[in-house]
Amino acid sequence: MTSYSKEVIADLVGGTLPWPQTRRIMSAYKDDDRFFKYVAVLQDRVGWSDPILLPVGDHLFICQSGDERVTKCECGHSFGDYRKNWKLKASIIVRDTEESLREIYPNSDLPDPDWMEIRELICPKCGTLHEVEAAAPGYPIVHDFEPDLEGFYRDWLGKPLEPLNKGG
Amino acid sequence: MLDKPASALRIRERLIESERLMEETGCYDGITELHLRNEDPLKFETLHTKLRAYCVSAREMARRISASPGVREVGEMVVAIYTPEGDAIALSNGIMVHVHTMSRFIKWMIRNGYEENPRIRDGDIFANNDAFIGTVQVPDVMDVVPIFHSGKLVGWAGAVCHELEAGGITPGGDVALAQERFTEGLFVCAEKVGENDELRRDYVIRCERNLRMPIYWVLDEKAKVASCIDMRESVKALIDEIGLDYWMQVSKEFIEEGRRAQLARTRQLTVPGIYRGHTFYGHVTKGKPGYQPLGDPDWLYNMPIEMEITSDGKIIMDFEGTQPWGYHSMNCTPAGMDGGMFVTLTQHMNFEGLVNDGAWMATELKLPPGTWTNPDNEMVATATSWALLLPAYGVFQRLLSRSFIARGFVEEAFVGQVNSPMIEMGGTSQYGTPFGMAHFECAAAGSGALAIKDGLDTAYVGWNPESDMGNIEIWEQNMPMLYIGRSIVPNSGGAGKYRGGCSFLSTWLVSKTDHLRLVTSEHSSRVFDNGGLCGGYPAPTCQKHRAVRDSNIFELAEKGAPLAHHTGTNPYRSELEVRLEGQHVTMEGPYITAPHKTGDVFTHSYNGGGGYGDVLERDPVKTAWDVENGFLTREAAQGIFGIVLDEDEEGFPVANLEATKRHRAEMRAQRLARAKPVSEWVAKERERVKAAGFVPEVRKMYASAIRLSARFTKDFSAFWDVDAKSTFGVE
Repeated sequence: MTSYSKEVIADLVGGTLPWPQTRRIMSAYKDDDRFFKYVAVLQDRVGWSDPILLPVGDHLFICQSGDERVTKCECGHSFGDYRKNWKLKASIIVRDTEESLREIYPNSDLPDPDWMEIRELICPKCGTLHEVEAAAPGYPIVHDFEPDLEGFYRDWLGKPLEPLNKGG
Repeated sequence: MLDKPASALRIRERLIESERLMEETGCYDGITELHLRNEDPLKFETLHTKLRAYCVSAREMARRISASPGVREVGEMVVAIYTPEGDAIALSNGIMVHVHTMSRFIKWMIRNGYEENPRIRDGDIFANNDAFIGTVQVPDVMDVVPIFHSGKLVGWAGAVCHELEAGGITPGGDVALAQERFTEGLFVCAEKVGENDELRRDYVIRCERNLRMPIYWVLDEKAKVASCIDMRESVKALIDEIGLDYWMQVSKEFIEEGRRAQLARTRQLTVPGIYRGHTFYGHVTKGKPGYQPLGDPDWLYNMPIEMEITSDGKIIMDFEGTQPWGYHSMNCTPAGMDGGMFVTLTQHMNFEGLVNDGAWMATELKLPPGTWTNPDNEMVATATSWALLLPAYGVFQRLLSRSFIARGFVEEAFVGQVNSPMIEMGGTSQYGTPFGMAHFECAAAGSGALAIKDGLDTAYVGWNPESDMGNIEIWEQNMPMLYIGRSIVPNSGGAGKYRGGCSFLSTWLVSKTDHLRLVTSEHSSRVFDNGGLCGGYPAPTCQKHRAVRDSNIFELAEKGAPLAHHTGTNPYRSELEVRLEGQHVTMEGPYITAPHKTGDVFTHSYNGGGGYGDVLERDPVKTAWDVENGFLTREAAQGIFGIVLDEDEEGFPVANLEATKRHRAEMRAQRLARAKPVSEWVAKERERVKAAGFVPEVRKMYASAIRLSARFTKDFSAFWDVDAKSTFGVE
């Protein structure tokens, strides 16, 4: 069975693994023990101790926080219950003028702000840009991902999560 | 008689039985056990690889027969081997989207009584390019031949080429101006076009008299027939070796194995749950010549997609909430939608090459009737289906990628494909003869970024993973235009920790013709038709076209003065305007206009891909390299990515790491100061939504989605706390 060390996974996730090695990993049969090594790598990276249950973005994680399961930024800021859309608790910058769009697109043709705006969803504590939406004005904010967290741990990983008294 | 299937049943009854068995057992054709694989796995795998080799070899041989630079240069072809019921067993590389559309074509003939009339016999050749029977668009012409052994139908060999000219209302294959099927060009509707391994002369004459450049289509037909015969003979020789009964069983086991492998791979690489995303496409044609007033000329398309990964590993894609079909060429049939799913899966989950229709059977598409994904009117045009299909499956790639990121397979996460705008042309060639063709250098756009590295620059399109832009000299042989530039477009990839791949732009001088019609399609207007992921920005994909008529380029060349080789990086004054005199044109939407002539200059830009991750985390050293090589401008490095660049002794950019750190801290603080809570923004925006305070095209988009989808109506109403129907005046 294919398997890699935690150090290799850490370099892969960090984008620092040399390309020939990365390429071999991409072409090889996948390593079935990836998930928990990956979570361990990420747990080492964050500065807090709540166990990570599932990464949902580059710096966003569902984690066990006391009795609750919450979506957390890498900086430690909590966006609340993981079943709710974390974006609704984020901060936002909306680019809906030529001037603000030009800051990101310095030399190309721009969208018509009457037809499309760029929404930047940001951690209110550390300012990390977690997601960007390009949407028509008035389009509801998307709830990107509703994982079947308990089913995943129970049926796919064979390691059921502890039942919760409240929360997720 | 040769037209008897291998089983005792007629092929139509066999197809119905196969589907019933799948329904009853959940396994392909009722194959609940992989007996042959279990008996001798090595023989099983060897045979599957052999079939794959037959396909790859037949395709490479056929490309040498073709006269089309689309097939010869950039590989716009795929071949495959099927069961008697029309399910793909093995396929070549190339435009794999058609492996499943061809399956639909074979099944359509079986269901429609072709066994009785026009009969299915050894040596017959059947062709199709009707998307409602099974293809994506009119230029995707497919040929299949039945494979008989011992007097029994034992399979099919099939091949597809994308034709560069289809004889439609505008020249080329992706007939931009078609608004109904009647202007899309030459249709071949599941037709018997040859017997005894030979194309019928009357069919060839029909092609010769209905196409602007029949040499492409006709020689492609010969290439496809040659590849089909090659595969057929290889399969027959294989059956001689392994026996007919073994073949009939093993071919089905290959498909069932493919189905199981797809489910297992989904469980291995992803996380179950609901994933959502969207993108948009702007279609702007108001006032353009040639468009009939059949519907609104300008249209904003929303493409919301909900993907469910079930606990057994099935992927279900639901397009509910999207827009209706329209009187334009961008509609798509369920066959095309299936094809999009198939080609995306082959790239993202089944890249080892042994994929077949089994993978597709482990997925489900929900295509709401009446939408562009499933028109309830078979008269609609589908010639530029890719305009909406590519952005939609780019969303699918991002949804899948989020699941890979959640599971830890970050090396597979990919921000996705983008449209790669098509340019087609016709009129009088540089040789003084009538001509028409699609220019296929579009088969090399920028790709979306990966979660661990930048996207590919000028080297990816979704429909053909084997991307190639072709050689300039070959294109120049085939059209009355000369390249005066083929350049990377700086900042054309979406910004991010990892940027999207950059696009390129071609600049041409029209040469040796007094009548050149240029037509473009599959490029969005006014909105970006792609997205970023995890903080990455979308790529700027609403490019306009720029041209100069009656330019003074020959005078400049005579004097040895500088020419314009690209449009430059000043969005307010292009290099064409700086360098050339003449009538300057900047056009939004499809480029449909009066013919060009010698001395005119025309530019056409392809698209870059979306970015991944927060821009403020981009590697400064890599960015300095990007600036040095023209992928990013110095202005973008500092203004977007927060990277301060100095110059070394020779004037090359070098990252100033300390200054970058300080600058990024300032940018982060500015970001926080500028941002407001989403709740505050929602409260303010709600007032605008309540008043439907949008331009007519946006209001129309909402009204159309509300009419077609109860779920969209419910979700929209719940999010904004409004009554969506009364807000947009929907009864």
